[in-house]
Amino acid sequence: MVRIDFNRLRFLVIDDNAHMRRILRTLLHGFGTREVYEAEDGAAGLEAFTHYSPDIVITDWAMPIFDGLELTQMIRQPGANNNPYVPIIMLTGHSEKKRVIASRDAGVTEFLAKPISAKALYQRVLNVVANPRPFIRTRSYFGPDRRRNTNPNYAGTERRKGGKAEVITQQPLLEKAGVTGQGR
Amino acid sequence: MSKKPDPAAVSTFADHEVIVPPNKLKKAVQRLKPGEKVAFDPVERAEAALAELAADFSVWMESECARLDAARNAVRASGITQGSKDVLFRAAHDIKGQAATFGYPMVAPVADSLCRLIEHTPDIARLPLRLIDQHVDAVRAIVHRNTRGDVGKYAAELAEKLRHVTDEFLMRENHDNPDTLESILSPSLAP
Repeated sequence: MVRIDFNRLRFLVIDDNAHMRRILRTLLHGFGTREVYEAEDGAAGLEAFTHYSPDIVITDWAMPIFDGLELTQMIRQPGANNNPYVPIIMLTGHSEKKRVIASRDAGVTEFLAKPISAKALYQRVLNVVANPRPFIRTRSYFGPDRRRNTNPNYAGTERRKGGKAEVITQQPLLEKAGVTGQGR
Repeated sequence: MSKKPDPAAVSTFADHEVIVPPNKLKKAVQRLKPGEKVAFDPVERAEAALAELAADFSVWMESECARLDAARNAVRASGITQGSKDVLFRAAHDIKGQAATFGYPMVAPVADSLCRLIEHTPDIARLPLRLIDQHVDAVRAIVHRNTRGDVGKYAAELAEKLRHVTDEFLMRENHDNPDTLESILSPSLAP
Protein backbone atom coordinates (compact mmCIF):
# COMPACT_ATOMS: atom_id res chain seq x y z
CA MET A 1 0.00 0.00 0.00
CA VAL A 2 1.26 3.44 -0.90
CA ARG A 3 0.85 6.53 1.20
CA ILE A 4 1.83 10.06 0.29
CA ASP A 5 3.89 12.17 2.66
CA PHE A 6 2.29 15.52 1.83
CA ASN A 7 4.70 17.26 4.13
CA ARG A 8 7.35 16.74 1.46
CA LEU A 9 5.32 18.30 -1.35
CA ARG A 10 5.11 21.94 -2.37
CA PHE A 11 1.89 23.03 -4.11
CA LEU A 12 0.99 26.01 -6.26
CA VAL A 13 -2.74 26.78 -6.42
CA ILE A 14 -3.89 29.10 -9.21
CA ASP A 15 -7.49 30.23 -9.13
CA ASP A 16 -9.03 33.67 -9.51
CA ASN A 17 -11.63 32.86 -6.87
CA ALA A 18 -10.44 33.52 -3.34
CA HIS A 19 -13.00 31.14 -1.85
CA MET A 20 -11.76 28.25 -3.97
CA ARG A 21 -8.15 29.03 -3.08
CA ARG A 22 -9.09 28.94 0.59
CA ILE A 23 -10.86 25.60 0.15
CA LEU A 24 -7.88 24.11 -1.67
CA ARG A 25 -5.43 25.41 0.90
CA THR A 26 -7.60 23.95 3.67
CA LEU A 27 -7.77 20.54 2.01
CA LEU A 28 -4.04 20.44 1.26
CA HIS A 29 -3.15 21.46 4.80
CA GLY A 30 -5.57 18.77 5.98
CA PHE A 31 -3.65 16.20 3.93
CA GLY A 32 -0.50 17.32 5.70
CA THR A 33 1.08 19.79 3.30
CA ARG A 34 2.81 22.81 4.75
CA GLU A 35 3.87 24.65 1.64
CA VAL A 36 0.94 25.94 -0.41
CA TYR A 37 1.51 28.97 -2.61
CA GLU A 38 -1.31 30.84 -4.32
CA ALA A 39 -1.81 32.96 -7.42
CA GLU A 40 -4.99 34.59 -8.67
CA ASP A 41 -4.55 34.48 -12.43
CA GLY A 42 -2.52 32.76 -15.09
CA ALA A 43 0.12 35.47 -15.34
CA ALA A 44 0.73 35.57 -11.59
CA GLY A 45 0.62 31.78 -11.63
CA LEU A 46 3.43 31.56 -14.16
CA GLU A 47 5.51 33.97 -12.14
CA ALA A 48 4.87 32.01 -8.95
CA PHE A 49 5.71 28.77 -10.76
CA THR A 50 9.11 30.16 -11.71
CA HIS A 51 9.72 31.63 -8.28
CA TYR A 52 8.60 28.80 -6.00
CA SER A 53 9.36 25.73 -8.15
CA PRO A 54 6.34 23.79 -6.89
CA ASP A 55 6.17 20.00 -7.03
CA ILE A 56 2.54 20.05 -8.18
CA VAL A 57 0.42 22.76 -9.83
CA ILE A 58 -3.35 22.89 -9.32
CA THR A 59 -4.99 25.35 -11.68
CA ASP A 60 -8.45 26.57 -12.55
CA TRP A 61 -9.35 26.90 -16.23
CA ALA A 62 -11.44 30.08 -16.47
CA MET A 63 -9.29 32.98 -15.28
CA PRO A 64 -8.50 36.52 -16.45
CA ILE A 65 -5.24 37.56 -18.19
CA PHE A 66 -4.57 34.08 -19.47
CA ASP A 67 -6.40 30.96 -18.50
CA GLY A 68 -5.37 27.61 -17.09
CA LEU A 69 -5.08 26.02 -20.52
CA GLU A 70 -2.73 28.74 -21.76
CA LEU A 71 -0.78 28.49 -18.53
CA THR A 72 -0.34 24.75 -19.07
CA GLN A 73 0.89 25.33 -22.61
CA MET A 74 3.42 27.86 -21.32
CA ILE A 75 4.72 25.51 -18.64
CA ARG A 76 4.96 22.63 -21.13
CA GLN A 77 7.61 24.30 -23.21
CA PRO A 78 10.95 22.54 -22.93
CA GLY A 79 13.64 25.05 -22.14
CA ALA A 80 11.23 27.77 -21.09
CA ASN A 81 11.48 26.92 -17.39
CA ASN A 82 13.31 24.54 -15.11
CA ASN A 83 10.49 22.00 -14.75
CA PRO A 84 8.33 21.48 -17.84
CA TYR A 85 7.48 18.03 -16.43
CA VAL A 86 5.68 19.33 -13.35
CA PRO A 87 2.36 17.54 -12.72
CA ILE A 88 -0.56 19.85 -13.52
CA ILE A 89 -4.01 19.14 -12.13
CA MET A 90 -6.77 21.04 -13.92
CA LEU A 91 -9.53 21.76 -11.41
CA THR A 92 -12.46 23.28 -13.24
CA GLY A 93 -16.18 23.72 -13.51
CA HIS A 94 -15.87 22.79 -17.18
CA SER A 95 -16.84 19.18 -17.63
CA GLU A 96 -17.68 18.81 -21.31
CA LYS A 97 -15.88 16.15 -23.33
CA LYS A 98 -14.23 18.66 -25.63
CA ARG A 99 -12.80 20.48 -22.60
CA VAL A 100 -11.31 17.32 -21.16
CA ILE A 101 -9.72 16.49 -24.50
CA ALA A 102 -8.41 20.05 -24.92
CA SER A 103 -6.82 19.97 -21.49
CA ARG A 104 -5.26 16.59 -22.18
CA ASP A 105 -3.86 17.86 -25.48
CA ALA A 106 -2.41 20.93 -23.75
CA GLY A 107 -0.41 18.67 -21.44
CA VAL A 108 -2.56 18.53 -18.32
CA THR A 109 -1.67 15.55 -16.13
CA GLU A 110 -4.98 15.09 -14.29
CA PHE A 111 -8.44 16.56 -14.72
CA LEU A 112 -10.73 17.18 -11.77
CA ALA A 113 -14.24 18.48 -12.27
CA LYS A 114 -15.80 20.70 -9.61
CA PRO A 115 -17.44 20.38 -7.16
CA ILE A 116 -14.27 19.42 -5.38
CA SER A 117 -14.04 16.75 -2.72
CA ALA A 118 -11.19 15.73 -0.45
CA LYS A 119 -11.22 12.19 -1.78
CA ALA A 120 -11.10 13.14 -5.46
CA LEU A 121 -8.28 15.64 -4.90
CA TYR A 122 -6.33 13.09 -2.86
CA GLN A 123 -6.71 10.50 -5.61
CA ARG A 124 -5.39 12.88 -8.27
CA VAL A 125 -2.37 13.79 -6.16
CA LEU A 126 -1.75 10.15 -5.31
CA ASN A 127 -1.79 9.27 -8.98
CA VAL A 128 0.66 11.94 -10.12
CA VAL A 129 3.04 11.14 -7.27
CA ALA A 130 2.88 7.35 -7.20
CA ASN A 131 2.26 6.65 -10.91
CA PRO A 132 4.20 9.21 -12.93
CA ARG A 133 3.81 8.79 -16.70
CA PRO A 134 6.57 9.29 -19.24
CA PHE A 135 6.47 12.35 -21.43
CA ILE A 136 6.01 12.32 -25.16
CA ARG A 137 7.45 14.88 -27.52
CA THR A 138 6.21 15.07 -31.10
CA ARG A 139 6.14 17.95 -33.56
CA SER A 140 2.79 19.07 -32.15
CA TYR A 141 2.75 17.81 -28.55
CA PHE A 142 4.86 17.84 -25.44
CA GLY A 143 3.35 16.46 -22.29
CA PRO A 144 2.45 13.36 -20.29
CA ASP A 145 1.80 10.24 -22.36
CA ARG A 146 -1.82 10.51 -23.44
CA ARG A 147 -2.13 6.74 -23.88
CA ARG A 148 -3.32 5.35 -20.60
CA ASN A 149 -4.22 1.88 -21.80
CA THR A 150 -4.07 -0.45 -24.77
CA ASN A 151 -7.29 -0.69 -26.72
CA PRO A 152 -7.59 -4.29 -27.97
CA ASN A 153 -10.33 -3.23 -30.39
CA TYR A 154 -8.24 -0.54 -32.09
CA ALA A 155 -8.14 -1.44 -35.76
CA GLY A 156 -6.18 1.45 -37.24
CA THR A 157 -2.50 1.73 -37.96
CA GLU A 158 0.00 2.52 -35.22
CA ARG A 159 0.31 6.30 -35.28
CA ARG A 160 3.62 6.40 -33.50
CA LYS A 161 6.35 5.49 -35.95
CA GLY A 162 9.64 3.80 -35.27
CA GLY A 163 8.93 1.52 -32.38
CA LYS A 164 6.38 -0.34 -30.37
CA ALA A 165 4.26 1.91 -28.21
CA GLU A 166 4.93 1.49 -24.53
CA VAL A 167 1.83 2.06 -22.45
CA ILE A 168 1.51 2.47 -18.72
CA THR A 169 -2.07 1.47 -18.03
CA GLN A 170 -4.16 4.03 -16.22
CA GLN A 171 -7.80 5.01 -16.14
CA PRO A 172 -8.54 7.29 -19.11
CA LEU A 173 -8.87 10.98 -18.32
CA LEU A 174 -12.33 11.10 -19.82
CA GLU A 175 -13.58 8.43 -17.44
CA LYS A 176 -11.90 10.02 -14.47
CA ALA A 177 -13.31 13.44 -15.26
CA GLY A 178 -16.74 12.28 -14.19
CA VAL A 179 -15.55 11.25 -10.76
CA THR A 180 -15.84 14.17 -8.42
CA GLY A 181 -15.72 12.14 -5.26
CA GLN A 182 -19.18 13.08 -4.05
CA GLY A 183 -20.67 10.71 -1.56
CA ARG A 184 -17.48 8.88 -0.73
CA MET B 1 30.79 20.74 -5.71
CA SER B 2 27.04 20.87 -6.39
CA LYS B 3 25.32 17.75 -7.59
CA LYS B 4 23.79 18.02 -11.06
CA PRO B 5 20.13 17.05 -11.38
CA ASP B 6 19.42 13.66 -12.92
CA PRO B 7 18.93 14.02 -16.66
CA ALA B 8 15.77 12.75 -18.27
CA ALA B 9 16.07 9.41 -20.07
CA VAL B 10 15.14 9.98 -23.70
CA SER B 11 14.27 7.27 -26.22
CA THR B 12 14.12 8.62 -29.74
CA PHE B 13 11.86 7.10 -32.37
CA ALA B 14 11.11 8.11 -35.95
CA ASP B 15 8.50 10.72 -35.15
CA HIS B 16 8.48 11.04 -31.39
CA GLU B 17 10.52 10.89 -28.25
CA VAL B 18 9.62 9.08 -25.05
CA ILE B 19 11.06 10.94 -22.10
CA VAL B 20 11.26 9.57 -18.58
CA PRO B 21 11.94 12.60 -16.42
CA PRO B 22 13.76 12.32 -13.13
CA ASN B 23 11.16 11.41 -10.53
CA LYS B 24 11.39 14.33 -8.14
CA LEU B 25 8.30 13.26 -6.24
CA LYS B 26 9.39 9.80 -5.15
CA LYS B 27 10.63 11.45 -1.96
CA ALA B 28 6.97 11.71 -0.95
CA VAL B 29 6.03 8.08 -1.62
CA GLN B 30 5.83 5.88 1.46
CA ARG B 31 5.30 2.18 0.95
CA LEU B 32 3.56 0.73 3.97
CA LYS B 33 4.31 -2.75 5.24
CA PRO B 34 1.38 -5.13 5.62
CA GLY B 35 -0.47 -4.27 8.80
CA GLU B 36 1.45 -1.06 9.35
CA LYS B 37 -0.75 1.59 10.93
CA VAL B 38 -0.85 5.18 9.77
CA ALA B 39 -1.06 8.16 12.08
CA PHE B 40 -4.15 9.62 10.40
CA ASP B 41 -6.39 9.30 7.35
CA PRO B 42 -5.51 12.33 5.19
CA VAL B 43 -8.89 12.40 3.47
CA GLU B 44 -10.79 12.33 6.77
CA ARG B 45 -8.57 15.02 8.21
CA ALA B 46 -9.04 17.23 5.13
CA GLU B 47 -12.80 16.75 5.30
CA ALA B 48 -12.77 17.72 8.96
CA ALA B 49 -10.76 20.83 8.14
CA LEU B 50 -13.23 21.74 5.40
CA ALA B 51 -16.13 21.21 7.79
CA GLU B 52 -14.60 23.83 10.08
CA LEU B 53 -14.85 26.31 7.22
CA ALA B 54 -18.50 25.52 6.62
CA ALA B 55 -19.75 28.21 8.99
CA ASP B 56 -18.56 30.76 6.42
CA PHE B 57 -20.13 29.12 3.38
CA SER B 58 -23.46 30.94 3.50
CA VAL B 59 -21.62 34.28 3.58
CA TRP B 60 -19.40 33.16 0.71
CA MET B 61 -22.43 32.09 -1.30
CA GLU B 62 -24.04 35.47 -0.71
CA SER B 63 -20.92 37.22 -1.95
CA GLU B 64 -20.81 35.04 -5.07
CA CYS B 65 -24.46 35.93 -5.70
CA ALA B 66 -23.70 39.62 -5.25
CA ARG B 67 -20.83 39.27 -7.74
CA LEU B 68 -23.14 37.63 -10.26
CA ASP B 69 -25.77 40.34 -9.71
CA ALA B 70 -23.16 43.07 -10.21
CA ALA B 71 -21.97 41.45 -13.43
CA ARG B 72 -25.56 41.27 -14.67
CA ASN B 73 -26.13 44.92 -13.75
CA ALA B 74 -22.97 45.95 -15.62
CA VAL B 75 -24.25 44.17 -18.71
CA ARG B 76 -27.61 45.89 -18.43
CA ALA B 77 -26.06 49.31 -17.83
CA SER B 78 -23.48 49.30 -20.60
CA GLY B 79 -24.59 46.59 -22.95
CA ILE B 80 -22.81 43.35 -23.64
CA THR B 81 -19.17 43.64 -24.54
CA GLN B 82 -16.58 40.89 -24.64
CA GLY B 83 -15.28 42.13 -21.29
CA SER B 84 -18.63 42.30 -19.51
CA LYS B 85 -19.62 38.94 -20.99
CA ASP B 86 -16.43 37.34 -19.65
CA VAL B 87 -17.01 38.78 -16.17
CA LEU B 88 -20.59 37.49 -16.17
CA PHE B 89 -19.46 34.07 -17.38
CA ARG B 90 -16.77 33.71 -14.73
CA ALA B 91 -19.22 34.70 -11.98
CA ALA B 92 -21.74 32.10 -13.19
CA HIS B 93 -19.02 29.52 -13.73
CA ASP B 94 -17.66 29.92 -10.20
CA ILE B 95 -21.14 29.43 -8.77
CA LYS B 96 -21.62 26.34 -10.91
CA GLY B 97 -18.42 24.85 -9.51
CA GLN B 98 -18.74 25.94 -5.89
CA ALA B 99 -22.44 25.85 -5.05
CA ALA B 100 -22.47 22.20 -4.02
CA THR B 101 -19.38 22.66 -1.84
CA PHE B 102 -21.08 25.58 -0.13
CA GLY B 103 -24.20 23.54 0.57
CA TYR B 104 -26.33 24.86 -2.29
CA PRO B 105 -26.27 22.02 -4.83
CA MET B 106 -29.59 23.06 -6.35
CA VAL B 107 -28.10 26.34 -7.56
CA ALA B 108 -25.51 24.63 -9.76
CA PRO B 109 -27.82 23.52 -12.61
CA VAL B 110 -29.14 27.07 -13.02
CA ALA B 111 -25.63 28.51 -13.08
CA ASP B 112 -24.64 25.79 -15.55
CA SER B 113 -27.52 26.77 -17.82
CA LEU B 114 -26.40 30.40 -17.71
CA CYS B 115 -22.83 29.37 -18.57
CA ARG B 116 -24.11 27.41 -21.56
CA LEU B 117 -26.18 30.36 -22.72
CA ILE B 118 -23.20 32.71 -22.57
CA GLU B 119 -20.66 30.27 -23.97
CA HIS B 120 -22.65 28.90 -26.90
CA THR B 121 -24.37 32.04 -28.19
CA PRO B 122 -22.26 32.74 -31.27
CA ASP B 123 -23.09 36.45 -31.57
CA ILE B 124 -22.84 38.17 -28.19
CA ALA B 125 -25.06 41.00 -29.44
CA ARG B 126 -27.88 38.45 -29.59
CA LEU B 127 -27.50 37.29 -25.98
CA PRO B 128 -31.03 37.61 -24.55
CA LEU B 129 -30.86 39.95 -21.55
CA ARG B 130 -34.21 38.81 -20.25
CA LEU B 131 -33.10 35.21 -20.13
CA ILE B 132 -29.87 36.25 -18.41
CA ASP B 133 -31.96 38.13 -15.85
CA GLN B 134 -34.13 35.10 -15.27
CA HIS B 135 -31.10 32.93 -14.58
CA VAL B 136 -29.52 35.43 -12.19
CA ASP B 137 -32.81 35.97 -10.36
CA ALA B 138 -33.33 32.22 -10.11
CA VAL B 139 -29.87 31.72 -8.57
CA ARG B 140 -30.56 34.42 -6.00
CA ALA B 141 -34.03 33.11 -5.23
CA ILE B 142 -32.84 29.53 -4.68
CA VAL B 143 -30.01 30.70 -2.43
CA HIS B 144 -32.38 32.80 -0.34
CA ARG B 145 -34.88 29.95 0.00
CA ASN B 146 -32.23 27.31 0.62
CA THR B 147 -33.37 26.48 4.13
CA ARG B 148 -37.02 26.08 3.20
CA GLY B 149 -38.32 22.57 2.91
CA ASP B 150 -39.85 23.03 -0.52
CA VAL B 151 -36.76 24.52 -2.16
CA GLY B 152 -35.75 21.26 -3.87
CA LYS B 153 -38.89 20.97 -5.97
CA TYR B 154 -38.97 24.69 -6.63
CA ALA B 155 -35.31 24.78 -7.69
CA ALA B 156 -35.58 21.70 -9.89
CA GLU B 157 -38.57 23.12 -11.74
CA LEU B 158 -36.84 26.46 -12.24
CA ALA B 159 -33.64 24.84 -13.47
CA GLU B 160 -35.45 22.53 -15.85
CA LYS B 161 -37.49 25.35 -17.36
CA LEU B 162 -34.49 27.65 -17.77
CA ARG B 163 -32.41 24.85 -19.30
CA HIS B 164 -35.21 24.04 -21.73
CA VAL B 165 -35.65 27.65 -22.87
CA THR B 166 -31.88 28.09 -23.11
CA ASP B 167 -31.38 24.95 -25.17
CA GLU B 168 -34.14 25.95 -27.58
CA PHE B 169 -32.54 29.37 -28.01
CA LEU B 170 -29.07 27.85 -28.53
CA MET B 171 -30.33 25.34 -31.08
CA ARG B 172 -31.91 28.17 -33.07
CA GLU B 173 -28.78 30.31 -32.86
CA ASN B 174 -26.50 27.44 -33.87
CA HIS B 175 -28.72 25.69 -36.41
CA ASP B 176 -26.05 26.11 -39.11
CA ASN B 177 -23.17 24.99 -36.89
CA PRO B 178 -23.34 21.21 -36.34
CA ASP B 179 -20.15 21.05 -34.28
CA THR B 180 -21.48 23.52 -31.73
CA LEU B 181 -24.86 21.80 -31.75
CA GLU B 182 -23.21 18.48 -30.95
CA SER B 183 -21.26 20.10 -28.14
CA ILE B 184 -24.42 21.67 -26.73
CA LEU B 185 -26.37 18.45 -26.82
CA SER B 186 -23.63 16.13 -25.53
CA PRO B 187 -23.99 15.23 -21.87
CA SER B 188 -21.70 16.62 -19.23
CA LEU B 189 -19.05 14.24 -17.91
CA ALA B 190 -19.57 15.40 -14.33
CA PRO B 191 -22.77 15.33 -12.27
